[in-house]
Amino acid sequence: MKLHPLSVVYRTGASVARLAWIAVVGAVSSSQFDRFEVAVAGLLALVVLAAFAYQVIYVRRFDYQPTTDTFDLRSGVVSRRTREIPYRRVQNVDVSRNVLQRVLGIAELRVETAGGGETEIRLRYVSHPEAERLQQEIGRRKRGTDGDDEDTPTAGSSVQQLFAITPKELLLLGLVRVDLRLLSFATVLLPVIIPSVSNRFPLVDLLQAAPVLLVGVVLLALVISSLRAVTGYYGFELSRDDRELRYRRGLAQEYSGAIPLDKVQSVVVSESVLARLLGYASLSVETAGYAPGTDGTGSQSAVPIADRDRVFRLAREVESFGDPAFERPPKRARTRYAIRYSLGVALLAGLGVVAARLLPFPVPVPGYAPLALLPLAPVAAHLKWTQIGFALGANHVVACEGFWTRQTRVVPYYRVQTLAESATVFQRRRNLATLVVDTAGAQGIGSADARALDIGGDRAGELRQELESRFETALAAARTDDAVSPAAGIDSTVTPGSAPSAGE
Amino acid sequence: MSGDAVESAVRRIDEGDEPSPALTGPERQLDGRVRVIWALRALVSAFTLGVGGAVVGFFVADDPIVPGTVLFAVIFALGLAFAVLRYQSWRYEVRDDSLFLDRGVLTRVRTVVPYVRVQHVDVSRGPLERTLGLASVVVYTAGSRGADVTIPGLEPERAEDLQARLKRLAIAAEGEDAV
Repeated sequence: MKLHPLSVVYRTGASVARLAWIAVVGAVSSSQFDRFEVAVAGLLALVVLAAFAYQVIYVRRFDYQPTTDTFDLRSGVVSRRTREIPYRRVQNVDVSRNVLQRVLGIAELRVETAGGGETEIRLRYVSHPEAERLQQEIGRRKRGTDGDDEDTPTAGSSVQQLFAITPKELLLLGLVRVDLRLLSFATVLLPVIIPSVSNRFPLVDLLQAAPVLLVGVVLLALVISSLRAVTGYYGFELSRDDRELRYRRGLAQEYSGAIPLDKVQSVVVSESVLARLLGYASLSVETAGYAPGTDGTGSQSAVPIADRDRVFRLAREVESFGDPAFERPPKRARTRYAIRYSLGVALLAGLGVVAARLLPFPVPVPGYAPLALLPLAPVAAHLKWTQIGFALGANHVVACEGFWTRQTRVVPYYRVQTLAESATVFQRRRNLATLVVDTAGAQGIGSADARALDIGGDRAGELRQELESRFETALAAARTDDAVSPAAGIDSTVTPGSAPSAGE
Repeated sequence: MSGDAVESAVRRIDEGDEPSPALTGPERQLDGRVRVIWALRALVSAFTLGVGGAVVGFFVADDPIVPGTVLFAVIFALGLAFAVLRYQSWRYEVRDDSLFLDRGVLTRVRTVVPYVRVQHVDVSRGPLERTLGLASVVVYTAGSRGADVTIPGLEPERAEDLQARLKRLAIAAEGEDAV
């Protein structure tokens, strides 16, 4: 089957926009010549024409075909590629369209499998109904039912809505989902802004202006990030049938996707300080499908924000981990953090003293001022310590940590990839160790493994052996489950992987 | 000695389809020559840093020799000590259900890799390893820590034997749909 004809238009526009800098460079360099406008127009026309021709060929040559067992793809203009993806290996299927694509009535379909650094199938672009149809067909083929009964969106299974965001929750999300990563832009922006300001004012004024500037940039970052959260999750809806979670969200750019429940690697409940105070939390579901950095806005997010109890209820619906009784790290771990933070403060003070010596003008505060933070070190250590916990449930290992954003990770024993017990010199001094439970989750920034941080050294060894034997048990159970009943509802019997075993 | 035991085990396996328990083995150390590789690496980094120290010394105190040599000597000595200690700390064990590694000087790490989770096994031989007649085995899982599991400093035959054994054990463990 072919892509939508209008994708030529959109793709040409996109590649021209990408190549626009060439035109700009051309314009600047040709400005010395006489027929400046003509040259620019000619160049631009050439670029547009070339891009158009390329995209026409691309779209003509692009061919996709959902067959019974595999999704086949033929593509490529210069070097041609044929690809077959077995449905069994498919992790997530996502459909997205931005405003322009909505006007043109087209959408992008992405199919992810585990492994590989990038998305395996990207259909850019098909008509929106076709994208939705494919999404459902792939889902249907995955579970082995015949895909002939088309035009029945709820084919064979009951779709049940789990969650729909309310306006209040959306506003809260804008408040809570402050993306601190945007602040890194501030550090890029400030050196650009400061020189232009310092040209106008003497240096002493700059020292007073800097905090104001910083606050301004931070505020801007906050506003942008909350706007992004609100538009990105506008109209968020989560529903499920017997095998999949489905979401839909977005105001300007619309996303929808399907997360197969039998591919879920881990479930994470995140609560920032603010969210904890307000009694809210968010839920994300990790599969092995997403390549690093494909979507920074967190397309794995199952529930962006909701009442804490509700989030845990929903999480338990995906992985029924019960009510874990958390095991706390020993008190000597807290001592360790206190010492670590104190040393950090001391280092800061030392740097401050050196800086105060080296700077050519008097600094309003003495260099050792950071020492005032010292009393905070034990407090910070205690706060960090109180958030750490680790529990072995019937079918899951649950770990939580983090003060600023507490993340509770739930990993079914069946999903364990490797176990690593590590102890640094400093940890060994206090007989502490950390046990990391690695899963095949996404590798993006900010994704972390479940771990028992700073537990007793002997306990770590015990836990490692215990986890290993529980893993083997879960594996054996999954094998017999597979043999007996491959399909079931979403409960604990399915969570240890109901994926058909490979290679038969 | 034990090398013969492994060889006979491999022969036994090559004859039958079923992997035998002889595939697994007791805790093992690396080949002692791996210390030479680590020491040579330490030499290279000590030399680089020594040159850096000499340059800084030249600009700050007009004396490139003393800071350069001192830095080189200290780093090289540390590197040598580390090479020895690291070798002493390294243990690996091909167990019934999983590969177990125990190593680390400053940070001690014990890793368990269940055979079911093994995606593929590489034998790699860098130029240094080739000159010394050594090889490394790299075990890949689908985990986010990817190629974290490397066993360096093995004799090539042992590396290939380990690769074959891990392959057989992984197949015997029935590659479940891990992801």
